[in-house]
Amino acid sequence: MHTHSSIRTLDELKEFLHEAMRLEHATIPPYLTALYSIKPGVNRDAAQILRVIVVEEMLHLTIAANVLNAIGGTPDLRRPDFVVSYPAYLPDGETDFEVGIQAFGREALATFLKIERPAIRPENLKAGNPLIQRRTAPHKSMLGSHPSNNEMHFYSIGEFYMAIVCSLKEFEAKAQREGGTIFTGDISRQVTSEYYYSGGGELLPVFNLKTALDALELIIEQGEGDGGGIYDGDEHELAHYYRFDELVKGRYYIKGDKPGHPTGPQLQVDWDGAYPIKPNLKVAEIPDGSELRAATIAFNHRYGDFLKLLTLAYNGQPSLLLEAVPIMFEFRNMMLELIRNPLPGHPGLNGSPTYEIGRDVAAQEVASQAEAVA
Amino acid sequence: MLLPSESALKADPHAVAGSTDYDIVIVGSGISGAIIAKQAAEAGKRVLVLEAGTGVNRSLVGYDDLLTTFYSAATKDNQSPFPMNANAAIPRSPQLRKLQAGETDSSTYIVQSGPYVSDTTYTRIFGGTTMHWEAKTPRMLRSDFKSRTIYGQGLDWPLSFEEVEEDYRLAEREIGVSANVEDQTYLGQTFPGDYVFPMRGLPLSYLDQQVNNGIDGTSVDLYGRTYPLKVRPYPQGRNGIPNPAYDGGAGYRPIGAVDTHQVEEGGRCQGNTNCVPLCPVQARYHSGKTLAKAFQMNGKSGQPLVDLLSQAVASKVVIDPDSGKVSALEVKVYKDAASPEHETITVKGKVFVLAAGAIETARLMLSSGLRSTSGLVGRNLMDHAYLLNWALMPQICGAMRGTSSTGGIVDLRDGPFREKQAAFAIDIHNDGWGWATGAPTSDLLELVDDRNLYGADLRQGLIDRISRQLLLAVMLEVLPVESNRITVDPQFTDALGNMRPVLSFTVPEYTMRGAAYARQFSRTVFARLGAQDHTSYDPRDFGYVAYEGQGYAIRGGNHLAGTHIMGTMKTNSVVDKNQRSWDHENLYLVGGGSMPTIGTANVTLTLAAMCFRSGRDILKYLH
Repeated sequence: MHTHSSIRTLDELKEFLHEAMRLEHATIPPYLTALYSIKPGVNRDAAQILRVIVVEEMLHLTIAANVLNAIGGTPDLRRPDFVVSYPAYLPDGETDFEVGIQAFGREALATFLKIERPAIRPENLKAGNPLIQRRTAPHKSMLGSHPSNNEMHFYSIGEFYMAIVCSLKEFEAKAQREGGTIFTGDISRQVTSEYYYSGGGELLPVFNLKTALDALELIIEQGEGDGGGIYDGDEHELAHYYRFDELVKGRYYIKGDKPGHPTGPQLQVDWDGAYPIKPNLKVAEIPDGSELRAATIAFNHRYGDFLKLLTLAYNGQPSLLLEAVPIMFEFRNMMLELIRNPLPGHPGLNGSPTYEIGRDVAAQEVASQAEAVA
Repeated sequence: MLLPSESALKADPHAVAGSTDYDIVIVGSGISGAIIAKQAAEAGKRVLVLEAGTGVNRSLVGYDDLLTTFYSAATKDNQSPFPMNANAAIPRSPQLRKLQAGETDSSTYIVQSGPYVSDTTYTRIFGGTTMHWEAKTPRMLRSDFKSRTIYGQGLDWPLSFEEVEEDYRLAEREIGVSANVEDQTYLGQTFPGDYVFPMRGLPLSYLDQQVNNGIDGTSVDLYGRTYPLKVRPYPQGRNGIPNPAYDGGAGYRPIGAVDTHQVEEGGRCQGNTNCVPLCPVQARYHSGKTLAKAFQMNGKSGQPLVDLLSQAVASKVVIDPDSGKVSALEVKVYKDAASPEHETITVKGKVFVLAAGAIETARLMLSSGLRSTSGLVGRNLMDHAYLLNWALMPQICGAMRGTSSTGGIVDLRDGPFREKQAAFAIDIHNDGWGWATGAPTSDLLELVDDRNLYGADLRQGLIDRISRQLLLAVMLEVLPVESNRITVDPQFTDALGNMRPVLSFTVPEYTMRGAAYARQFSRTVFARLGAQDHTSYDPRDFGYVAYEGQGYAIRGGNHLAGTHIMGTMKTNSVVDKNQRSWDHENLYLVGGGSMPTIGTANVTLTLAAMCFRSGRDILKYLH
C-alpha cells in the first residue's frame, strides 16, 4: 500500500475524516432528490432501492463522525463548503465525473452507478501515485480530494478510505509505542444504535483501532462491495452498485448470481415516472418574487437548520437525532412542493431543491424576510 | 431485499398435499401461529403455516399496497387497508346496523343476532390481527389469574401469574416491547430482579401530559376505598429506543419486518397516528416479523423448514375415530380472491395447531362437528367492552399528534370493587374523537355544511375544534358467560361454502355496572380538566345498551377470547394449561380463545406468552 504517506499528521487525518463526512453527505441530496422526484404510484422498486441507499449514506455519514469523534475531532457540518455546489465531481480513476441534482431517470441512474462503482486500479498502475492531478475546472466542488490540496484527488473513493485506514493504523501504532493512543475522544460523543437503527448496519461506538477499522470497513463494503462480489462481506446485503444495476437490468439479484447477470424476479421501471425537475437548479435562476423562489430559499434554510442540529448531535448530544426526525419530514414535504411545481420561465420543467446551504447570503436575507412575514 | 425468500412464499398446494414430512401444521399466521412456527423451526421441525388471506403482504411491496389502499380509502375504519376477499371475509364495522331482539342479520360476514350487535373485528390476512392491532402490551395482573378465588367473579386460570411470568418476558422480547419498568409497577405489579423491557418507554403525548396536569394528585372513592389518579404510559409493541441494559447488558436489537433485509426492518416509531390500522414504517410489531425469521431457517438439507401456503382456508378438522387424534385437515385453496373457484386438498402432519383467532378457531371446530366433551367450543366468548367518552379541553392539546394511544388511567384495573363491578383501564386517544364521531372528517363536514365556514375561518375553526379533542376510551372487563357464544349454521355460508360464525352476545350486567360507574368517572375527570363533555349515546346505535335507566353505546375491543377455554379437566374446559385439546392429543387450540378471563389487559401479550408455553409442549410431544 502506498497511500500512508498522503496523511502526515493527526490534524490532517481529522481533516480527511471531515472530507469523508462531506463525501458521504454529498451523495444524499442527489439520491434524496431522485427519490422524491418519483411520481406517486410508480417506480416503487426504484423508490425502495433509493430509500435503502440513502438511509445507508446517512449511516455512513454518522460513522465517519463517530471515527472523527473517537480521535478527538469535532465534526462540523456547518462549514461553508460542507454542502458541495452541484454539480460536484467524484474521482473515477484517472478522471472524474459529475454528480448533480436531477430527477430519477436513466441519466440519474448512470450517475448513481458511477458513484457506487468500484474503481479498480489496472495492473500497470499498481505502483502509481494514489493522488491524481484533477482535470476538472478548478472552481467546481471536487470530492475525494486531498483536504489541503484540492487539485489532487484520489484514484477512487476506496483508495481515499484506504489512506484513512492506513494512517489510523500507523498513528495508533506510533502512539502506542509512546504509551498513548490517538483514540482520546469522549465516548459519550459516539452516536450508537440507541439513536440510529434499522439503517442498514450496526452503529457501534468507536473507541479504539479495531472499532474504527470495523466502522470504516462497513462504509467501504456497503458502497463498493467487497472485492467486486455482489454481496457484502457477510453475504447478507447487496452492494449499492448492484442494487442500481437491478434497475438497469429490470431484474433482482439473488444469491449465487454473477455480477451483471441477475436471475431473480423481474421488476418494472417507468423511466418517465418522475417529475421533470430542472437539473442543478440555482436560486438565481428562479424569478424574483415568485412563490417558488421563496419556497426554494425556505427549504435551503431548513436544510441548513438540519445540518446545525446534526452538528450538535455529533458533538455530544446524540439524543438530538430524535428531534431531527420531524425536521426530515418537514423538509421532505418542502422538497415535494418544489419538485411538483412548475419552474416559471422554463416551460415543461419543475422546480427542485438547490441545496445552496450557507453560500447564498442574499438567499438567507430573503429567508429571514419570509420568516418575518410569516 | 425486496425479494421474498422465494421458497417460503411459493408453497405449491399439490406439493403440500402430497407431503408427509410436516411435524406441525398451523392454521393462521397471526402472532400465535408465528411464535409456534418459529419455535418449532428453531428446534429443526418441519412446519406448514396455512393462511386464508392472499399472503401478498408477505413482501414489502404487498405491505405497501395495503398502505396505499388505506390512504385512498374514503372510510378509514380499522379494516380499510385490507381488500375485500369473499373467500376469507372479515368483519367490517361500517356495515353494521341496529337489530331488534330476536332479529338476525346475515348481511355481514359474522351473522349477528340481536339486540346487541358487536363491532368486534379480526383480520384474516398474512400476519392476522397483528396487521391492525394497536400494540398496547400490558401484562395481566396477578389477581386476574384468580378472580374467582379473590372476587368470586369469573373463573380462575389453571395457571398462576408466576407460571406465566417467564413467558411474558419471552413475549416482550419477541414483540420488542417499549416500556420502563418504573412506570409499570402500579397495583403491585412486580418484575424480576434487574429486568428491563427490550426498549425504553415511549414518551407520553402532549395530550396525555395535559390530562395528567389536571388529575395528578387527585383521587376517586369507590366502595370506601380511595384510588389515586395519574396518567401512566402504556407498554407498547412498537420500536422506541433499545435499552442497552436489556438482557443483562447485552442490549436489544430491533429486528424484523415482512422482509428481513436490514433496511426494510421495522423503523423507529415516528408518531404517525395510523398505528391502527397499519403502521407505515413497520415500527409497530406484526407477526410477519416473527415469521420472516422463521422462513429464514433451513433444515439439514438446506431447505427451508417453514412453508407458508396462502389462499388456503382450513375447512375441516378430520378425526381418526379409533385414536381420537387429528388425522388431517381439509383445506380449500382458492386461486383468486375475486372468484370462489377452489380445490380442496388434504394436509397431514403429526401435530395440528389451530391459531386462527378466537372466532375462526371455534368456527372451524364447530363446522367440523367438534364441540368437545365439555360442549364449550364457541362458548364463553369474551371481548373487552369499550365505553367512549369525549370532551373538548379548555386549551389546545395537540390532538392528532403521536401514535394512537400512549397513556391512560389504569389505577382502576384492580381493587375490591371487582366483587361487584368490572374493572377498567382508560386509554387516552391521541387521534381525537375519531373513534366516537368520525373526526376529523365529521368536524370538517359540520363546519362547512352547518356553519358555512370557509378560508381562514374554516382553518381556525378546525384547529380550535380538533386540537382540543379528548377521547377517553374505557376498556371494561368482560367475564366468561356460556351463553355468549359463536355458533355455526348450515344456512349461513361464505363464498367457499364454509359455514360463517354466528355471534350471540349480551354485555354482562357486571360489565354494565362498571360501565355506568366509568361514565360517572369520566365526567369527574372532565370536570377536573375543565373539559366540556360532548358525549352522547344514540338509541339507534347498533351497540346501544340500556342499564338502570341510562343508555350506553358499547363498542367491541377486538380482544376476542374464551371460545376454547382453558381449564383443569375435560369436563370444564376445551384445552389444558398448555392449550392442548383434552379430546384430541395431537391438537392444540391456541390464542385468545384459551383464556378463561381477560381482566383489563389487551390480550395479545398474554396469548403470545401462552404460545411459548404451548410451543414447548408441542416439541415435548413430538419427542
